Amino acid sequence: MNKEQIIEVITRNLLENLDDLDAETIDPEASMRDYGANSLDIIEVVSSSMRELKIKVPRSELADVQNISQLADKFLEHMNS
Amino acid sequence: MNDRDILKYSLADFVYNDNPDVLSPPEDFTAWMDDPRVGLAYKFFEQPLQAAPTPRTSLRGGVDGVTRDVINLTSYNYLGLSTHPEVVQAAKDALDLYGVGASGAALLSGTFDQHELFAAELASFKQEEACVLFSSGLGGNMGAIQGMLQKGDVLVIDDKCHKSLIDGATLSGARLASFKHNDANSLDEVLTRHKGKRILVAIEGVYSMDGDLADLPAIADVCDAHGVPIYLDEAHSTLLFGENGRGIGEHFGLEDKIGVNFGTLSKSFGGVGGFVCASRALIRYMKCFASPFQFSCALPPSIVAAMRKSLEVATRDSTLRDQMWANVAYFRKNLEALNLDLGDSASQVIPIIIGSSGEQLFTMAMEAQRRGLFLQPIDFPAVEAHARRFRISVSSQLSKEDIDEACNIIEDVIARPLGTVGNSGRAGA
Repeated sequence: MNKEQIIEVITRNLLENLDDLDAETIDPEASMRDYGANSLDIIEVVSSSMRELKIKVPRSELADVQNISQLADKFLEHMNS
Repeated sequence: MNDRDILKYSLADFVYNDNPDVLSPPEDFTAWMDDPRVGLAYKFFEQPLQAAPTPRTSLRGGVDGVTRDVINLTSYNYLGLSTHPEVVQAAKDALDLYGVGASGAALLSGTFDQHELFAAELASFKQEEACVLFSSGLGGNMGAIQGMLQKGDVLVIDDKCHKSLIDGATLSGARLASFKHNDANSLDEVLTRHKGKRILVAIEGVYSMDGDLADLPAIADVCDAHGVPIYLDEAHSTLLFGENGRGIGEHFGLEDKIGVNFGTLSKSFGGVGGFVCASRALIRYMKCFASPFQFSCALPPSIVAAMRKSLEVATRDSTLRDQMWANVAYFRKNLEALNLDLGDSASQVIPIIIGSSGEQLFTMAMEAQRRGLFLQPIDFPAVEAHARRFRISVSSQLSKEDIDEACNIIEDVIARPLGTVGNSGRAGA
């Protein structure tokens, strides 16, 4: 799986958790908070995406992640490790 | 999860339980918790005190099971009211008169004359029309939010607010949104995004993990501009801030900007419970829909009688809070001499931020306890992973000797390993 596909997984889970969002509006360089996600939404999106990707990245390693693209990088790094 | 990475995981990684058996925790959680390196951290939870939560008390350590006399920097007994003779006597007298429990929910049989009197006294103290008592602080925040908001509404919180406010949003069905800590511009953006909805902004007077104050003047300006009311959680500031001890609202001279005042009885008051003060109309409505009020047994009358006495003692003059603030100043002076990172604390809650190493945090915590200091370590996810810390709660009951001894231990077990002081010791302490 490549980064683009991982972003698709994250984006789909974000869309499922947030009302009033459509896929065309989601920029990977933006943070989920920019789209109105709260801390509970983010936990849900990250957990659902990791379950789907069959990985478990420690939350402590995600603390500095600023946007969706960086989150995908972290996921990719763990999938390849 | 491989053995090498096990310490990178935290409770935040086990929120969702994938185990098909609902009676079992996640399998990887069990393996993680059973690892002795992880288990060590949890031995600092639920350590039983063997005496009153005073500055000198006795604690059975979770790591080694040894009971020690300790200097207690962890209890929230900021004004020492938990053991104040007048407060204890009031509880004893009420216990004789009313018995042990309230034996009912407040709406039915759980309201006693003590509850009625105390609610009126608290409302008067906070200069509000009415007050409702809750059996816990957490229940108070959850119940108040549930009693005010519903699906379609938005609760906007500072991103360092307490879990009880988040849970209140969940319980109410309201959308939860957060703004960057104490950042008025971020608040403005969030309020603009949700314009047109029923919105409540919730902030805390003193933030419990950092000890810093709400930037109420800036936040009130933004809320005014948007026509949105403020819910102020004064759990760690009631009885401590302001000329009359009413809290941060009084401290900033902005009480008229606060729509709802929340407080706990478990911190400065020295007991247990929560309370919400607001307009008579709102409190009457809230009581009808706040589950923690409606469906929970009321506070024991003996506790309420004791809390009435706590309010009286703490507000008859400023002696206790003056003593606490003198202790805060002396403690800070000593900690600053050790060049420790105290964050932005401006209150009786003083963090000592040590950095990102959980192993170092718990090694220090073990050594502090072995040396006779009850100083709770605070780990991720309760605080940011790069800012693990200890948290000091300064009490009015601490003596200068207690603080000196505590700082000597902190110097040896925290400051020296961190390298914030050299072998020559504290300068100017």
